[in-house]
Amino acid sequence: MRLIGSLFILVSCAAAQIRTVTLPGKSPLVTFRLVFTTGSAADPADRPGLAYLTAQMIADGGTKDLTYKQVTDAMFPMASGMNAQVDKEMTTFGGATHVDNLAEYYKLLKGRLLTPGWREDDFRRVKDAAINAIKVGLRGNNDEELGKEVLYETLYQGTPYGHFNGGTVSSLEKITLDDVKTFYKSQYSQSQLIIGIAGGYSPEFLASMKKDFGALPAAASPEAAIPAPAVVEKSRIVIVDKDTRSVAYSIGYPIDVTRARPDYAALLLVSSYLGQHRMSSGVLYNRLREKRGLNYGDYAYIEYFPRGMFLMEPQPNLARHRQIFQVWIRPVEPPTAKFALRLALFELDKLNKNGLTQEEFERTREFLSKYVNVLTRTKRAELGYAIDSLFYGIPQYNDYLKTQLAKLTLADVNRVIKENIRTDHVVIAAVTRNGEDLKRQLASDDASPMTYNSPKPKEITEEDTLVVKWPLGVKAEDIKVRPVAEVFQ
Amino acid sequence: MIPKICLLLGCAALAFGAQPQKVFPYEYSQEDLPNGLRLIVVPTDYANIVANYIVVQTGSRNEVEPGHTGFAHLFEHLMFRGTEKYSPEKYNQTLNRMGAASNASTSDDLTVYHTTFSKEDLDTVLAMEADRFQHLKYAEPEFKTESLAVLGEYNKNSASPFSKLDEVMHDTAFDKHTYKHTTMGFLKDIQDMPNQYAYSLKFFDRYYRPEYTTIIVVGDVKAKAVRAMVDKYWGEWKRGSYRPEIPVEPAQNGPRTAHVDWPSPTLPIVVVAYKAPAYNDATKETAALDALATLAFSSTSDLYQKLVVQEQKADSISGNAPGSVDPSLFEITARVKKVEDLDYVRERILETVKAFQEKPVDTARLDTVRKRLRYQVALSMDNSDTIAQILSYYVALKRTPETMNALYDRYATLTPEDVREVAAKYLVEKGRTIVTLTGPGGAK
Repeated sequence: MRLIGSLFILVSCAAAQIRTVTLPGKSPLVTFRLVFTTGSAADPADRPGLAYLTAQMIADGGTKDLTYKQVTDAMFPMASGMNAQVDKEMTTFGGATHVDNLAEYYKLLKGRLLTPGWREDDFRRVKDAAINAIKVGLRGNNDEELGKEVLYETLYQGTPYGHFNGGTVSSLEKITLDDVKTFYKSQYSQSQLIIGIAGGYSPEFLASMKKDFGALPAAASPEAAIPAPAVVEKSRIVIVDKDTRSVAYSIGYPIDVTRARPDYAALLLVSSYLGQHRMSSGVLYNRLREKRGLNYGDYAYIEYFPRGMFLMEPQPNLARHRQIFQVWIRPVEPPTAKFALRLALFELDKLNKNGLTQEEFERTREFLSKYVNVLTRTKRAELGYAIDSLFYGIPQYNDYLKTQLAKLTLADVNRVIKENIRTDHVVIAAVTRNGEDLKRQLASDDASPMTYNSPKPKEITEEDTLVVKWPLGVKAEDIKVRPVAEVFQ
Repeated sequence: MIPKICLLLGCAALAFGAQPQKVFPYEYSQEDLPNGLRLIVVPTDYANIVANYIVVQTGSRNEVEPGHTGFAHLFEHLMFRGTEKYSPEKYNQTLNRMGAASNASTSDDLTVYHTTFSKEDLDTVLAMEADRFQHLKYAEPEFKTESLAVLGEYNKNSASPFSKLDEVMHDTAFDKHTYKHTTMGFLKDIQDMPNQYAYSLKFFDRYYRPEYTTIIVVGDVKAKAVRAMVDKYWGEWKRGSYRPEIPVEPAQNGPRTAHVDWPSPTLPIVVVAYKAPAYNDATKETAALDALATLAFSSTSDLYQKLVVQEQKADSISGNAPGSVDPSLFEITARVKKVEDLDYVRERILETVKAFQEKPVDTARLDTVRKRLRYQVALSMDNSDTIAQILSYYVALKRTPETMNALYDRYATLTPEDVREVAAKYLVEKGRTIVTLTGPGGAK
């Protein structure tokens, strides 16, 4: 057992191979996060979506002894549930219950994870939901998430990260219940399990839980290394064509920085400065939305952050060995689409050329040093971040980040900007109506004049004279228009 | 002071016994300043963090003049446009240095501004918030730019068919009341917002007043110290005099329907809505309608089991009882897998409504709903931010955390007959509106 920073966070490798992250306390609530270090990167090449379907069958199905209805009926009065999150290298099962109901809730949780029901009718329902999540949820109803996932798919082509976590429609259609059972047997092992638990449970409870999960196979097949994605040889654009009001963009490229790398804190600071998620403090937000009214918001990321349109803060347990730098431009009106893209790249270029000032550096560092406490204010988040720290082999996240930030200098940050922030060799994903029209616009060097509904300060109008002709540097042959029905099909 | 975590434990032990404890388990102070501003302080044991939620009892309900829908929401944006003392840049940079999470949201009945931060920054946060609530100052060009950000928000929402359904449902079901429009407002009004600078100043002058506003502070704080800060920064704020005349919705006299043709592939959706009463904890009606929504349409209901789990004709069904300042809609929403099953699913919903009107539910089932409601609250109150967030909803209705206790007291005394009665009284054909939405031929 080793102490990793916080008085109450204990990480241990117990007698078996199961790792635990525990936050015991006096709370009347008990929070669980059970993480298997496997996910969609382990999908067989011809079965994208298998990890996702397997997790959904567990979290949204019956057990060997209880039907789905019996499980949901039993959880209902407790106001408890169980959810699954599948990412490339982590599959997380989360839930919480009041101590009054701990024994009964745990029985259901254990039943689902250790003795899943594998019923055909559950499988049919879960599979339909997974297919509709792509056809309707992603392709039909959420242009912004669609653009982000197309960006990831494009950048990671040919690697185990190269497909959407939820799979593809054609693959989901052919996956069988036997495939799911096989995946479960090969991937849900003690060696891949991290048990996270917080709140008012007893030491005896935890001991018996570890004993129960000792029923899983001892070890899964060794995890394959995740290769680096191909270098983006030249900038290219993927336009998803669908009937929609406006134009959503995501821009990105692979980076060699994760939480485990020395430049993590510096690059996190840069992305926060450029576009802290859903906050008005970022440069992109200020220049695109606040000064010019182009859209609802504009942000930057160095870690995978799905469902950003519904979340104010990142979800933990999406830890990855490979990450990308990403800029999210929320939907813009079609007449301003080319200008908005130019402006976003112009701002990246400005950052690359100028770096941060001492004041900007210190302010952003101060923000992150304190905001990390806000991020981890719930037991659920505290547990999640502790599990991620175990994955990355770093100390407790809050202490780690604060220590790393404290060591930074402006020179470090500006070096990291030079090394990581660029406007060429990028992939741009756009979701729009009349994709061919946007393609023609973006492939041309023509100016994209901008008019406003109110007078703008000289600083903005002067800057606009540069932005309107900013070279996007993408030729027509590097712009691909894809009908939405093809995406993740 | 009693340690709050123990109070919560106490609640857990007694919640389902003979004498249920209050569902809001924290000790709190509630005080009114002479100008009408209300302050609610809830000290908790969650260390270091403070959540400040400022609730303005103004939402899209208050948009009484034609052509000006969406203004409450626009104001949520304009409030970040600065004052003489704090430009938007200075405001953002100050919050940034605090490591604060800050945002705002608007709905039918309220606008809420919230900031979560470390306790040492409370004085600065209250000072900055007081400054913008009293001295907001924006010029016409900034106003015009911000109105475009609202259009941007409409644009990003417009990718979801549920946003369109909501618009059409409210427009169809209501004739006079301001619930006829959604909080975003009618698109034509949003597009005209840049021309309404003068009106915006009037809107601010009317509603951003102490008598409409409640400050909720939850976290690692002491009530007396918070009161002193609020007196210092908010004491000079002048009371207003405007009281809106919200049009009364005439009784609906027959069923209504509408249909939305969605341009891109989607699953068909049906929403069945009924006119239902305003939030009221003086009677059991609001509590009974809440229980009805859960009993008849939640994941353990017979209908859900039939349509979603067994027949698998729908992939979701949910019921939602209103909890609004004025009478609103009890809505049942189902997403159907095949367009040819749309009528079938709608008929099963109507049959379910009829069954609940005729036969009282089992007491045991009602008990499970009661139990769930209390555990739901206990499970959600696991940090200061969420506690403040939950309170803000109840405070928007009646300006006190006791609203929550009163409602849960009503749940505790509900009988199966109470649930049957509200179903028979409100879920009636003449107050019903059904809106359907289909894509081009349903999902391909």
